[in-house]
Amino acid sequence: MSLHIENIHAGYGKANVLDDVSLQVNQGCICALMGRNGSGKTTLMRCINAMLKPSRGRVTTMGLDITRLSRLEIARLVSIVPQSSDTAFPFSSMEMILMSCANRIKAWSAPSSREHARARLVLDELEIGHLSDRPFNQLSGGERQLVMLARALFQDTPVMLLDEPNAHLDFAHQHAIMELMRGVVKKRGVTVLIILHDPNLVLYYCDRVAMMKKGRIVTEGPTVDVMNDRVLREVLGNGIQMEVTRKGRRVVTPRARVTKNISLLPDADQESEPCDVRTANGTVS
Amino acid sequence: MKKRSSIILVLFFLFSLFVSLCAGRFPIGMGGIARLVLAGLGLEEVFGTPLHEMQLIFWNIRLPRIIMSFAVGCGISIAGAVFQALFRNPLAAPDILGVTAGSCFGAAAAIMFFSGMTVAVQCSSFVFGVIAVSLAYLLATRSWDTSAAVLVISGIVVSAFFQAGLSVLMYIANPYDQLAQIVFWIMGSFHASSWAKVQTTLPIVAAGSVLIGVFSWRLNMMTQHEEQVLSMGVDVFRWRLFYIGVSTLMVASSVASVGTIAWVGLIMPHIARYLVGPDHKRLIPTTAFLGGTFLMFMDTIARSILANEIPISIVTSIFGAPFLGYLVMKRREVGVNDELAH
Repeated sequence: MSLHIENIHAGYGKANVLDDVSLQVNQGCICALMGRNGSGKTTLMRCINAMLKPSRGRVTTMGLDITRLSRLEIARLVSIVPQSSDTAFPFSSMEMILMSCANRIKAWSAPSSREHARARLVLDELEIGHLSDRPFNQLSGGERQLVMLARALFQDTPVMLLDEPNAHLDFAHQHAIMELMRGVVKKRGVTVLIILHDPNLVLYYCDRVAMMKKGRIVTEGPTVDVMNDRVLREVLGNGIQMEVTRKGRRVVTPRARVTKNISLLPDADQESEPCDVRTANGTVS
Repeated sequence: MKKRSSIILVLFFLFSLFVSLCAGRFPIGMGGIARLVLAGLGLEEVFGTPLHEMQLIFWNIRLPRIIMSFAVGCGISIAGAVFQALFRNPLAAPDILGVTAGSCFGAAAAIMFFSGMTVAVQCSSFVFGVIAVSLAYLLATRSWDTSAAVLVISGIVVSAFFQAGLSVLMYIANPYDQLAQIVFWIMGSFHASSWAKVQTTLPIVAAGSVLIGVFSWRLNMMTQHEEQVLSMGVDVFRWRLFYIGVSTLMVASSVASVGTIAWVGLIMPHIARYLVGPDHKRLIPTTAFLGGTFLMFMDTIARSILANEIPISIVTSIFGAPFLGYLVMKRREVGVNDELAH
């Protein structure tokens, strides 16, 4: 049930966004996609989910070429958790989740009581059973993401795509989502491809990482091998650096004194002091 | 649905039906209704034979009119709920894709060039309604953007085009007879309801209502963003075409028979949503029942409250506009759950 991306070329109109991208994600693995804005991460996800047809190359899962399948068949293989979501009508969380069983019920049917029971199990799995009857558009950003994650899980596909699921979330919710994903992968053995911008989340939670730059995958492999100072600077810019704590844990921090390549920093001329990473007992790490 | 809501809805229907049957320029009491119904069933001996005029008015004028108002109310309300779901906008109305503008143009053209022949007006109105929606859809499919917003913009373009055509027709119409006919038709009325009109409108509305009802749960998904709908395995473009096609047929056949009916398609889905929630499996039947009952009641007011009949759109606007205002105020009080703000 692994995911194979073979020599994908894709773009919008005449603008080519993806240039010969190949990637393999094995079953039961969380693979992160990292890269700066506009590097082609979301476009790659759209190709995997057949929202965008590649001009060349193919995407296969379970040996099936995604581009040759119907929407219904794709929905039985791949589910997606979008970056953010809202709804114009006050559907309850349960109603939102139930929508994703459309890939296994007849067009004229509504979800049966069995589907309701299954949806409740998914809610319990994510420990959000209390949100079941609450209107989706009254939930906080974090709660909405958990409901959307539950919807993708209820879709019950072997491959899951998560497009920046941590965007707009506070620190605790970011980690909660990632912890949940680890649990889900361990329990269900699904294949997960996730776009993340925080290298520390990638270091903590992902088995593999693919670093993208200008529509190409620069490097790809196990997180421990790929994530190093050189690669991070090459892909994400000189504004960050990797440090190793005394316990051997790697953390990525903003790089001191380097401001030229970060156009968004307010005072480029102002020199800043190097920032230390301190552990709870006060030691510099 | 809450039990209390169901009871209120059924009571409202029974009350509206009773008032509609009784009220009018020729009032018929409860006894008269019973006598007419029994006579109709061949049981004259129970209460005696009713007056011939009473029979004529009841069977040939009032009953088809009540059936028409209920059917048109159902059709327009269902179309309103469908369009609100498809365009993810609680303020969408059945005429969003230009069906009403097209139908009005068609009817006005028939009034002017076919001397207002009923069949010509109906046919022309229906045909131009369908042409307008087809144009809007065609225009939208030519765009690289496949979102529902493009469809809405196409609908606005087509509406503007047909409204301009209608204005030209009204400008050149004979002000002594044709113009008045056009204006009265545009404002809508059930006064010309007959069994023949019931026979042309009811089957389309009934078939459309059943089709939308059968596939109502899918409408929940159509309220989500396109890529999300596609990722759940639903061919959003094909289903959108299906829902638009069926709803347009219902609206066009209704407008062709009775003219434009304002507000019903916008307001009824809101009240139904308030009663049963946003799940279309429950929303569609509730909207249909509520819309039918409401229009039946409004038509009774339109034909009974003054000596002369008031165009139905005036009555529905008088009740509809303040209701929308009330909804806006209520939503402001509720705050976060501001569905009108989306």
